Amino acid sequence: MSDILAARGLTKRYGGLTANDAVAMTLAAGEIRGLIGPNGAGKTTFVNIITGIERAESGEVTLHGAALTGLAPHLIAAHGLVRTFQVARVFGNLTVRENLMVPYFASASTRGTIEALARIAELLRLSTLEPLADSLAKSLSGGQRMLLQACAGFMIPDVRVHVLDEPFAGINPVVKDTLIELILKENKAGATFLIVSHEMDIIRRICPRVTVMIAGKVAAEGPLEEIARREDVVTAYLGRSLQ
Amino acid sequence: MYSTELLAQTLISGVMIGILYALMALGITFIYSIVRMINWAMGEFYMLGSYIQYVVVAYALGRNYWWLAIIISTTGTFLIGYLLEPILIKPMHARAMERRDDYATVVTIALLLMLRSLAVAIGGPYQYRPETNLPIMWVGPLPMEGARVMASVFALVALALFYLVISKTWIGLALRAAAQNRVAAQTSGVDVFRLDAVAFAIGVALAGLAGALLAPLFLVYPTNGAVTTVKGFEIIVIGGLGSIPGALIGGVLLGVVESLGAAFISSPYQNAYGFLLVLLVLLFRPYGLFGERGREA
Repeated sequence: MSDILAARGLTKRYGGLTANDAVAMTLAAGEIRGLIGPNGAGKTTFVNIITGIERAESGEVTLHGAALTGLAPHLIAAHGLVRTFQVARVFGNLTVRENLMVPYFASASTRGTIEALARIAELLRLSTLEPLADSLAKSLSGGQRMLLQACAGFMIPDVRVHVLDEPFAGINPVVKDTLIELILKENKAGATFLIVSHEMDIIRRICPRVTVMIAGKVAAEGPLEEIARREDVVTAYLGRSLQ
Repeated sequence: MYSTELLAQTLISGVMIGILYALMALGITFIYSIVRMINWAMGEFYMLGSYIQYVVVAYALGRNYWWLAIIISTTGTFLIGYLLEPILIKPMHARAMERRDDYATVVTIALLLMLRSLAVAIGGPYQYRPETNLPIMWVGPLPMEGARVMASVFALVALALFYLVISKTWIGLALRAAAQNRVAAQTSGVDVFRLDAVAFAIGVALAGLAGALLAPLFLVYPTNGAVTTVKGFEIIVIGGLGSIPGALIGGVLLGVVESLGAAFISSPYQNAYGFLLVLLVLLFRPYGLFGERGREA
C-alpha cells in the first residue's frame, strides 16, 4: 500500500515545553491507525498541526504528495484531510440536517443537491440520528454530537483521511458501537483513519497498527499486541499494562 | 390634546422610522455575529449611501428614477465594503492577533474619520437633498410624506430579502454556521475569510440603504450618519448584541417610543426617550431583550 499522509519533523513548543519533538508519521492509504499515548504526550497537538489549527515551528505535512504545511484549515479540508474535535464542535443552533449540509456545500462540490440529500439520508440512517434530523443540534447528547460531527466529516466529498480526536471518550456503549460501524463502513469505502483514543479495547478491535507517542515523540509503531510488550511503552503508562 | 387619530398617526410613523433604524442595528449585529467585531464606521457607510443617492439622482438619473438610485447606492456601498474588508479587517483574523477588539476599534474609527474628511473634501460642508417624484401619500386616513412611506416599504423589502438569503440559501447556511463556530466551520471546509468579506459588505450595505432611503428626509452632509448610528447602538442594547429578531423588534420599539414621547410629552426631547428605554432595559435585562447570557458553542 502507498503512503497517503506523511508528516516529517514536526516540532512545536509552548514556552519551555516541547509538545511535539520532530514527530514523523506516515499513514498507508486505506488503513485505520490508532494513535495512543499518556495524557500530555502531544497527540492533540499533532492533530492540530496536521489539520492547520496550529502551526509547527518546523517540519512538513503532505497528503498524497501535496504539501499541507501552513495552509488554513478550510484548505486542508478541501485537500481531503478532515478532523473531529475531542469536545464535539457542532453548530448548536442549526438542525442536525443543516449541520450535515454545511460541509458538503462548503466544499464547492460539482456534485448536485440531490446526491447530497441522498448522502445525508444515508448518514442519518446509519448514525441512527434520523428521528432527530430536524431538531437543533444543541439538544443532542454528547455521544450524539460526536456521531453528528463524524458524519459531518463523512459529508465532504473526496475526503481521503479522517482524523478523529478521542471520538469514544465519555459516550454510551450503544452510540460507541454505532460510531465504530460507521468508521468501518467508511473505511471499506476507501477512507483512511487516524484515531486518537485511550480506549484500548476499541483500538485493538479496529486498528491493525498503532502509533505510540510519549513526551512529544513517536515512541513506537506496530500492532498493539507487539507494542504492549515493549518496556518503554509500559513504563510511560505508569506501569499499567496495556493488556 | 389626546385624539385617536393622533395616536394612530404617531404609532404608524414610529413603526416606519423604527424599521429604518432596524436596518442600521441589523447591519451592526450581523457584522458582529460573523466577523466578531463592532464596526464603528457604520454611520459613515450610511453617509456614503446618502451621497451616492444624491450624486446619482442629481447628475445621472433624475428624480423620476430615485428608486433605481436606491438600488445603485446599496450595491455601491456593498462593493465598497466588500473591497475594504480584506484590506482593513482581515489582518485581525489572519494573523493570530492578541488584541483583536482593540485593532477593530482603532481601524474602524480611523475609517470613520477618513470617510468624513473625504466627504468634506469632495462635497464641502454643505447639505444636499436628493429629490424624488413622490407625492403626499395617504396611509389609511392619514397623510404622510411619500419619501417616508416608500423608505419604510423599501426597508421592509430589504429585510425580507435578507431573511430569505440567510434562511434559504447555501451562503446563508454557511453564514449561520460561521456565526456559531468559526473553527468548526473552517474544519468543515468553509472559507470563513471570504464569508467575513460578504458579511461585512452585507452589513454596511444595510447602512448604505438606510442612508439612501432617508436622504430626502434627513439630508446629505458629512456627519449625517452619526444620529442614526447612535440609534443603531441603542437598539443593539435594547435587543441584545448578535440577535437578529432583537435588532428588528428593538428598532420598531425605539421608533414607537420616540414618536409617542415627541407627540404626547415634548418633542424637543425626542432623542432622550430612546435613552430612557435603554436605561430600563439595562436595569431589568442587561443582556438585551433577545440577547443570550452566554453563547452556545
